[in-house]
Amino acid sequence: MNERRATDRQASLRNYIKLYLILIRTSVRSRMQYRFNFAFGTVLAAIIQLSEFLMIAIVLAKFGAVRGWTMHEVGYLFAVMTLAKTLYRTFGNEVHNLERYLVEGELDQLLTKPLPVLLSLLPRGFRIMFGEVIQGGAILAWSLGQMLHSGQISWWAIPQTIFAIVTGGVVLFAIGMATATCGFWTTRISMLQNMTEDAAQTAARYPLTLYPGWMSGLLLTAIPVGLVGYLPALYILRGELGLWVFPVLAAASCLVVLLALRFWKFGISKYQSTGS
Amino acid sequence: METISSRAVPTVQAEREAAIEAVGLCKSFKTPVVAQGRFSGIRSLFSREYTTKEAVRDIGFTVEKGDFVGYIGPNGAGKSTTIKMLTGILHPSSGSVRLAGIDPHRDRLRCASRLGVVFGQRSQLWWDLPVKDSYDILAHMYGVCDADKAKRLGEFAELLDLDEFWDTPVRKLSLGQRMRADIAAAMLHDPELLFLDEPTIGLDVNAKRNIRGFLKVLNEEFGKTILLTTHDMDDIEQLCRRVMVIGGGRLTYDGTVEGLRREIGLPTEIKVTYRAGYVLPRQGDDLIIAADSSFAMRIVSRTESTLTVEVNRQDVRTMDVLRELGQRGEIEDVEMREPDFEEIIRRVYG
Amino acid sequence: MISFRSNTRLYQTLAAKAYARNIQYRGSHLLHNFASAAFGYLYACIWIGLGRDHSLGDYGTIGMLHYITFTQTSLWVASFTTMGLGIPQSVRTGQIALDLMRPVHLFAHLMAKEWGQIAYQFLYKSIPIYIVMQLALGLTPIDGGRTLPLALTALAGAAYMAICMNYMMGISALWTTESSWLYWGNQALMNLLAGFFIPLEWLPGWLQTVAWASPYPFMLYAPTQFYLGKGDPVLLLGTLAWCAALTLLCMLSTKALRHKVEVQGG
Repeated sequence: MNERRATDRQASLRNYIKLYLILIRTSVRSRMQYRFNFAFGTVLAAIIQLSEFLMIAIVLAKFGAVRGWTMHEVGYLFAVMTLAKTLYRTFGNEVHNLERYLVEGELDQLLTKPLPVLLSLLPRGFRIMFGEVIQGGAILAWSLGQMLHSGQISWWAIPQTIFAIVTGGVVLFAIGMATATCGFWTTRISMLQNMTEDAAQTAARYPLTLYPGWMSGLLLTAIPVGLVGYLPALYILRGELGLWVFPVLAAASCLVVLLALRFWKFGISKYQSTGS
Repeated sequence: METISSRAVPTVQAEREAAIEAVGLCKSFKTPVVAQGRFSGIRSLFSREYTTKEAVRDIGFTVEKGDFVGYIGPNGAGKSTTIKMLTGILHPSSGSVRLAGIDPHRDRLRCASRLGVVFGQRSQLWWDLPVKDSYDILAHMYGVCDADKAKRLGEFAELLDLDEFWDTPVRKLSLGQRMRADIAAAMLHDPELLFLDEPTIGLDVNAKRNIRGFLKVLNEEFGKTILLTTHDMDDIEQLCRRVMVIGGGRLTYDGTVEGLRREIGLPTEIKVTYRAGYVLPRQGDDLIIAADSSFAMRIVSRTESTLTVEVNRQDVRTMDVLRELGQRGEIEDVEMREPDFEEIIRRVYG
Repeated sequence: MISFRSNTRLYQTLAAKAYARNIQYRGSHLLHNFASAAFGYLYACIWIGLGRDHSLGDYGTIGMLHYITFTQTSLWVASFTTMGLGIPQSVRTGQIALDLMRPVHLFAHLMAKEWGQIAYQFLYKSIPIYIVMQLALGLTPIDGGRTLPLALTALAGAAYMAICMNYMMGISALWTTESSWLYWGNQALMNLLAGFFIPLEWLPGWLQTVAWASPYPFMLYAPTQFYLGKGDPVLLLGTLAWCAALTLLCMLSTKALRHKVEVQGG
């Protein structure tokens, strides 16, 4: 009996993965119906990214270091944050857009499908973010290259950084999902996203030592964006802390995403739908 | 509640599960109170005051397999809220729902694969893709194998004329085409139970006829259980064996269409044409009182040779009315008009 | 030809309605102000941190805190206007054809509405954010507030320019469904070229040239310079010139819009 349930579960998991891929293909195809818009969006996204980077680059070029962090180190923080965010927005963007579903009542439709809501929701927002990947990748390559050249880091830094980007993406997704869940009560979430996503992500592009203690504490615990670039950078770039950083990152990202999922499930049971 | 469910609903037989069983459904929505007056902006930030709106109060009913039920009521009466609770979208504040014995909230996924849902105002199809692609995706979603998909779509295509827009992106369909495509999509996985929320809203006469025809076939030939909400009384008259009326969040009527007609007790109009005029006892009076004073009828209109009166056929037999009117002159012709269904609904909503 | 002057009463009503529509949400907007002030505080923290190790040029750390306070406050007037003045939405719903039929010029109509919106945002967003940031950073208004009149005049010009730019972005919705990207692109350029975070004189030379060739410096940088008591009143001429140029562009784009709507029928 138990064995059969296990194989059932395996079959349905396989089925879910297959379905996820189909839905992703669908949303890519839908998007490609508007080729011009796709190209247009990509170009503008690259410009936005570039101007965001220039803001930091100009500060670094003028002042050289921020609180003892070199130009390359801050560039690294920026790049890891950009790539982790790209990962989150590539696969989990619809969580960020949940307000639209709540306001327009689109969520009703998803709730009538025999799939977990996240599984039908997430693929809808799947998109390929060339602009961000190229920009983040270029800055990362530049800063890592310079630090490798100067002997500050070893080649080990590369797999470690990739690991940090993946766990970082998971953390950002969890924060995004927890924020979106509040929408089941408040419907409007853009204001909250402003704080927990936009402001927090902007803050974590700089070394957290810039901020007063209460704020950096907040950014490592309540809104743990500090886990994305700052904490791994302390070890990977500066040799502080220890190798234990990686299991901690893995555990923390799993924990936050599980907590966020719990909260999401609870939130959905409180869903009020739109009027009439 | 008990009075409602005992009135028209047969008791559930133990060996057969009802298609829908709703018990004591309630749903209330909380909205924060907006403070008024000075500093109201700041005060409302911290206020814990809520107004509670009870959208649905204590609704209970049972729908048997193969039934065709119309669910009507004015806007804001709680129709959509009920449908959303039945389909597992909204959790009821209290009460329970069973669809073929399954709780749609606890077991949403299992339940979802057994029911079809159509929202007239919204499409479940993929906006930018050709219609047939949506069916491919839905088939994967519901685990429908290729052979079944082909067979069912073949049947639907014939009944709903899907062929004419098979390759058209959904965003380019007319409202009527989209609705047909949507209903076919909801039936692709062959659910036992179909919910439709205002399926004919905004459609022209032909599109309505087409959709009604399809629903009739689904119900009569395939034995599907159907529950629909509508504001179009022709939907109810032509399709539904049973009608439920909701008003102010409560079920106010549950029974047959004829029963509803009777219950409201609307007057029937009888128009009599006299061969050579008629005499009324007192000119200018609106009432005709029977010779034996057993009943009265109201005059709606009159001309030189015709007289139209209103009577409630619950109280008076038509023969008595005609005998009474026959005494006023020689009757050449009689016309009777039953109360309009629209009129009934206006009374119910009012 | 539609007259602009015909109907001042109408414009007043449109503005008042836009203002009143927002008033009902002021509770949640006040909460939003904390988010916005937190953002400003964050940027201030960066400058405080930088100021600890470096001298911050003519401004000094305190000067930079004033700078960030004023730009953050001004965003609600010069940058956070209604996306495309609501045109993309009315294009999607087909409302645009109706709007064009009205006996009021579309630009004037939407501008009147937006002035109401901006007035609301100034009172219920800019001012509270300004006060919160002053308190959080322990600042007092520069020169006892004597620099404010000039700064606010320049800011009013910036608001007008923001309306024009959003109008043109909105009109682009007839050609692309992704016009919201333009809005975000505009925000990004505001951050960089309008001197939101970094004073323009600290940009590399080539970027300064690019910036001064655009209207952006007049949207945040110039008002802020007036606020700090540094700006030369001649800068106001730049604001005026850009207002005139943008108005002209808006008129031309309305023509293009009309043509497009007539061709494709809305």
